[in-house]
Amino acid sequence: MSVGAILCSLVVVSARNPVVSVLSLLGSFVCLAVIYLLAGFQFMAAAQLLVYAGAIMVLFLFVIMLLNLGTSEEQNGPIDRTLLRARRIPIVFAIGAAVFLLTLFGIETQQTIMEVDPELAERGVSSMSGLAELMFSTYLLPFEAASVLLLSATIAVIVLAKRGRTELATDASAEVTQ
Amino acid sequence: MTVPNEHILFLAAILFSIGVCGFFIRRNTIMVLLSVELMLNAANLTFIAGSRMHSTAAQAELSGPIFAIFVILVAAVEAGVGLALVIALFRRKQTVSLDQLNELGD
Amino acid sequence: MEAASYLWWIPLLPLIGAGICGALHLATLRARKSNPDAKGPAGFAPLVASAAMGGALIFSIIGFLAICPCEDNVVDGEQIVALQSSTWSWISVADLRFDLTMWLDRLSSIMTLVVTGVGLLIHIYSAGYMKGDKGYAKFFAYLNLFCFAMLMLVLSSNLLGLFIGWEGVGLCSYLLIGFWYEKGWPAEAGQKAFVVNRIGDAFFIIGSFILIGVFGTLEMQDIGAQVPAMIDAHSGKLALAALLLFGGACGKSAQLPLFVWLPDAMAGPTPVSALIHAATMVTSGVYMIVRLNPLYAASPGVLMFIGCVAAATAFIAGTTALVQRDLKKVLAYSTVSQLGYMFLGIAAGAWGAAIFHLVTHAFFKALLFLGAGSVIHGMHEEQDMHKMGGLRKHMPRTYATFLAGAAALSGLPLMSGFFSKDEILAKNFAMGGVNYLFWMAGVVTAAITAYYTWRMVALTFFGEERFDAKKVHPHESPALMTGPLFVLAVLSIIGGAVLGLPHVFHLWNHALDVWLEPVVLGGNEILSAQKGMHMPLHLTAVREWILLALGSAVALFFAHKGFHDHKRGLAMDESVQGAFPVAHAKLTDAWGIDSGYARVIVQPVKLLAFVIAVIVDQFAIDGAVNGAGRMASDFGRRGRRLVDGSVSCYGLWIGAAAVVLALTWFWRGN
Repeated sequence: MSVGAILCSLVVVSARNPVVSVLSLLGSFVCLAVIYLLAGFQFMAAAQLLVYAGAIMVLFLFVIMLLNLGTSEEQNGPIDRTLLRARRIPIVFAIGAAVFLLTLFGIETQQTIMEVDPELAERGVSSMSGLAELMFSTYLLPFEAASVLLLSATIAVIVLAKRGRTELATDASAEVTQ
Repeated sequence: MTVPNEHILFLAAILFSIGVCGFFIRRNTIMVLLSVELMLNAANLTFIAGSRMHSTAAQAELSGPIFAIFVILVAAVEAGVGLALVIALFRRKQTVSLDQLNELGD
Repeated sequence: MEAASYLWWIPLLPLIGAGICGALHLATLRARKSNPDAKGPAGFAPLVASAAMGGALIFSIIGFLAICPCEDNVVDGEQIVALQSSTWSWISVADLRFDLTMWLDRLSSIMTLVVTGVGLLIHIYSAGYMKGDKGYAKFFAYLNLFCFAMLMLVLSSNLLGLFIGWEGVGLCSYLLIGFWYEKGWPAEAGQKAFVVNRIGDAFFIIGSFILIGVFGTLEMQDIGAQVPAMIDAHSGKLALAALLLFGGACGKSAQLPLFVWLPDAMAGPTPVSALIHAATMVTSGVYMIVRLNPLYAASPGVLMFIGCVAAATAFIAGTTALVQRDLKKVLAYSTVSQLGYMFLGIAAGAWGAAIFHLVTHAFFKALLFLGAGSVIHGMHEEQDMHKMGGLRKHMPRTYATFLAGAAALSGLPLMSGFFSKDEILAKNFAMGGVNYLFWMAGVVTAAITAYYTWRMVALTFFGEERFDAKKVHPHESPALMTGPLFVLAVLSIIGGAVLGLPHVFHLWNHALDVWLEPVVLGGNEILSAQKGMHMPLHLTAVREWILLALGSAVALFFAHKGFHDHKRGLAMDESVQGAFPVAHAKLTDAWGIDSGYARVIVQPVKLLAFVIAVIVDQFAIDGAVNGAGRMASDFGRRGRRLVDGSVSCYGLWIGAAAVVLALTWFWRGN
């Protein structure tokens, strides 16, 4: 798992195509989630996959596609390279999927852990409730603050990404005159 | 086979340094943000490892995962806001390459 | 003592006059900006200044009359001996308290009368002498300022106020000597005067500190009263203080070794020389010592030292005056010599005699200077006696008054100078012991004085005319100038007889001695206790007559010789110069003292100043400061390259900073 994570992150930083980077980061996340599982923190693993891999990386992909950054500027090489790279993507996908499936099977090892440490199994079950307990008692304030943060971030994102009024006006007038 | 704690920390360190390199090396703004995500993940891993280290048989230390959840949350927020900024920047400069975003140039 | 707040007006009137004259001068400057030939309101300046001096003189006379020993001035059955004005509290710190009070007792009343009287005459004279000068009003402003400072000096009841006046007269001396600074050398002369005075002032200050330490106060009356109690315990400190204060007096009164500024001070206008360097400022040292006479009486060693210095000064200065060609320089060295006489009087404990000579000297030396000014004025600024001659036909009134002054200076019998000089010599003779040597030096110097005085008269007013009659037309001076000359001539002739007729004449008592008796009582008592003699000393009638005769003979003989040697012209001067060239050159240069100073002290100091100014200041300090500036801008330039807008660069720096912080955190062991 660790090796997988490391390899993926290396690809993240060195890939030319941003899409490749995003996908390998996804792979890295998956490896990490598996590691969390192995450590007995199921909630963490689930949260990581859901939020990180599911939402954030998708967001990144959206933006990359929106801004059409698939082809980076330094690279204006021959089409074969592009084709080559294009071919690389399914390969990465395949590897990633394999890894994932393997680790799903590796959950069996959790039973190994449970053999070694029986209390860990119980702990694992109650970790969710334990987390919930903590969240709503000791860490209540950060929890609420976090919700405020999310709200403000949403507003900020909307404001930032909104087109300026003049842009809107010119666009509108351009549309009208056309 | 129990994964020893030191290994996890080691992994976190490697991931973090890789993220740092990416942060400095990449020219594309989005790649930079991506490296930041990588670094945050390494931090999460560290938290989890720490929680594992300090859990006793009787009482599980759960502030690690909690903090990691908050980190994920903040990372999400930051990624969203950062991407919004990138979009706005792209609208102005038609590029996200850091070299060409330099207005203070010599 | 009696309260008399009008005493404040005596110094303040000249101060106000100075302010008004200064304003007049500024108005004149402004008027000249538009029209360079405008006269502006400067013409009013002499009126204002003379009025101020006149007012001060009136108040001085009022004060004088108030403390005259007569029946009107008796309060509570006791004779008034002093007036005291209101006190202005100045410094009050812990135990130390320094106020400014005007104190008019018998001694200061004499001084104020001399200062205001002679000052007024000189103001009137200057109205004529300085006419047409560009700085007419400025001159009177300075003159009045000087009189203010001098009156502060003589009227203050404590040493601090005296010192204020002391410094003030030094400042005004600088301003007035360098009045014609555009010529160049007067500015240097003024600077020299100020610096040499400053050296004396340093001694003065240290001496006053010792006095504060011993007595806890600087009030001169209190010090005088407490001296007898302190003699046994603190005689060493008292002597040291007295010596240091005398050091200050040396600077101000131009004694050895600090006399070198006085001949150079002749670069200033002649009325300045008359007022400052004959009558008033240079006598302030004498005044100070007489004021503190108990202190000096308690330090016989210091008195002897004073006598040695005075005798040497009188002799050296007298011999130098013998060979001078410049009219004013003769008078300058003569002043130094006569000041030595005053200090000789002090050395014999003859306080009254010193003051007597001070007063008569003020009369005749001011007269001589003003007369010289008249001559120079008439000769169109020519000062070299070798180029004069036969002027008595052209300037009769100046000639007549000059004669009176010369007679007084040389000590011709029955003139004022005769009485005062002989009294000093007689008192020294009467003291005996080492004072015999002083007496002999005084007699020798009297001979020299008579000789050079009449040499001066002969070269200037007699003989054939050595100037080019076509180019130079000597003329008599206007009435504004000859009037004061006349008044001073009268005073020079009769002043001695009126003020200080010796007892042996059995006509009237020595007025001045009687007048000053309360002032010098303290000193005389101490001296009497020390020497076992009854002060003031009196010689037997026979001895006194012999000394008087001796003095007259010496004066007459050498006056005659000096006159006749030079009546025909320069023959004597030239033969002397030919026969003793080396000695002549040395004498002309005041025994090489001034040039010795220039070599030994001034040159090294100039070298040091050059080193510091150029090498240390320019290279080292400027280099360091500029270098610091250059370093800062260098850093700035290098630092600017850090922040060049590339985000990844910023990121690197953020990362580096984070690493440093983390390392610090680890090492601090958090």
